[in-house]
Amino acid sequence: MSHPSVPKHSPSELLIRGATLSYLGVMVVLPLAVLTYQAAEPGTSAFWRELSNPFAWHALKLTFATALVMVAINVVLGTATAWVLVHYPFPGKGLVNALIDLPFAVPTVVTGLMLVALYGPTSVLGAFLGRHGWDVIYQKPGIVLALLFVSYPFVIRSVQPVLLEMDGAEEEAATTLGAGPWTTFRRVTFPTLKPAIVTGAALSFSRALGEFGSVLMVSGNRPLATKTGPMYIFGEIESGNRHGAMVVSVVLLACSLGILLVLNRLQRQGGLDHVH
Amino acid sequence: MAWRSWQLVIVGVVLGAPALGCARTQGASDATDTLTIGAYSVVREAFHAGLPPAFAAHWKRQTGRLVRFEESYNASGAQRRAIASGFDADVAVLSLEGDVQRLVEAGLVKKDWDAGPNKGMVSRSLVVIGVRPGNPRQIQDWEDLTRPDVGVLYPDPKTSGGARWNINAIYGAGLFRDRPRGGKPDPKAARDLLARVQARVVNLDGSGRQSMATFERGTGDAVVTYENELLFQRKMKKAEAPYVIPPATLLIESPGVIVDASVERHGNRAVAEAFLDFLRSVEGQRILSAYGFRALDPRIDERIPGRAPPPPRLFTMKDLGGWSKINKEVYDPGGVWDSLFTDKGAKVR
Repeated sequence: MSHPSVPKHSPSELLIRGATLSYLGVMVVLPLAVLTYQAAEPGTSAFWRELSNPFAWHALKLTFATALVMVAINVVLGTATAWVLVHYPFPGKGLVNALIDLPFAVPTVVTGLMLVALYGPTSVLGAFLGRHGWDVIYQKPGIVLALLFVSYPFVIRSVQPVLLEMDGAEEEAATTLGAGPWTTFRRVTFPTLKPAIVTGAALSFSRALGEFGSVLMVSGNRPLATKTGPMYIFGEIESGNRHGAMVVSVVLLACSLGILLVLNRLQRQGGLDHVH
Repeated sequence: MAWRSWQLVIVGVVLGAPALGCARTQGASDATDTLTIGAYSVVREAFHAGLPPAFAAHWKRQTGRLVRFEESYNASGAQRRAIASGFDADVAVLSLEGDVQRLVEAGLVKKDWDAGPNKGMVSRSLVVIGVRPGNPRQIQDWEDLTRPDVGVLYPDPKTSGGARWNINAIYGAGLFRDRPRGGKPDPKAARDLLARVQARVVNLDGSGRQSMATFERGTGDAVVTYENELLFQRKMKKAEAPYVIPPATLLIESPGVIVDASVERHGNRAVAEAFLDFLRSVEGQRILSAYGFRALDPRIDERIPGRAPPPPRLFTMKDLGGWSKINKEVYDPGGVWDSLFTDKGAKVR
């Protein structure tokens, strides 16, 4: 984050900088550039035709809608979880802390399998919910559940360190000045947490846009109903429509890139807010 | 897709490299021929466990030489792509004629591959309906799959080329609905039946095997699949795997071909051709039949105890007008399949 005040470039520094940037170029930029080029090559009208295909369009809308619902839940419950972890001592806290990261280690297809076993129409819970009109698996709520699982740690892990750094002095001051707990949270705690919450939300959103394995197992995969963008891409590749697949991929990637860029800017602003 | 590609790389490295190496070194030293087979996943058990020992014995009797198999199994489309991009299978056994046609277009397979008496086919099966033990929903025909109390499974024809067999069976049953009364093929009735069955589909899995797995995990009341898949469940897993053969259903015919480019390079045309001939011989067909396939000659199936006779109104892809017509009519963008979802009134739950 900090810029050296006297920019003197020693040869070794240049070398390291060159090496890391080339690494980024080879690992990330180059493959994405090839994809974007191939998607754009047949021209704007062909790109637009693929994108306005009702199946592609619906898949993209569903991807964004389910990701947004997931993010809304994650922001509230993730922040609350981080709060509890930092502020309240309870037995087994170490284990809980370790469990939070576990969703990252579970292969996403296994995530799908677990959810089907737990909420599927043949499970006790799934059958109970189904009788009350709450079909989860093979319907949209199943997609949101899968996304919640795979992105579970993001908000907690971005908010937790900020909460740990806050020493409570500002909140105490607010209380002393007569602010109630809600006002204190709204005016003092939340503004400090905001950049971290935004980071967690954006990371989970980006992660959700590309999620495939778990959604494949739980969504039902029905066109214009429960087929998300990544599954649409898979289907188009398998049925020989590479261009259609690439167009949707590029749109998903561009959205992720946009989100991460906005996020970077917000973080920088958040950082400045802190200083002043 | 990424995983598929990795699989191909692994298959290439593990099978391809030694296949080349061993064909040269071993083949020369102890009279062993090496045969590389690239097949679609559904035939794996028959090709891995059933056919190699029988063919090895046959080849030994014929030539006194040994034969060693290198095998690779993948979804038909993925296997075709692998072969087209360099996987040097000598014999390709695929689910769909269209996949062989792509290999012809790539210059790897001879144009007259379907000239023989069996039209290039090596195995047959039927599209059937797998049901729960005791058939609690009383499913007998395609029409039963349109009932609101029935949950149906079949794979997504977008991701599974083999899924098209299943959907074609339903489509064809609708198309030929009036045939017993001397009526003409009715595309409207075909689309209508397919739309009403699709409205009861719970989950479109990525492949036929995945559909079976979903069904085994307890989802759905009926799975539309190949007869051999269910007979395989019975044979290998000792599962009951009950199924019904609808009175009107589709005969699945899958091709096997020599990949000319590979046998030229490996110099093993003789053994490759002998293997394909063996597949179509009575002995080879008996093995395939024992693994749940329908034999090219129906008389072979009759010797298998408990094998149901073919249904009265069996039809073939030729009856439906051939693959290219059906692909265009049903699966191309804007075709019947797409219209099931885009047209008003046919909206899926």
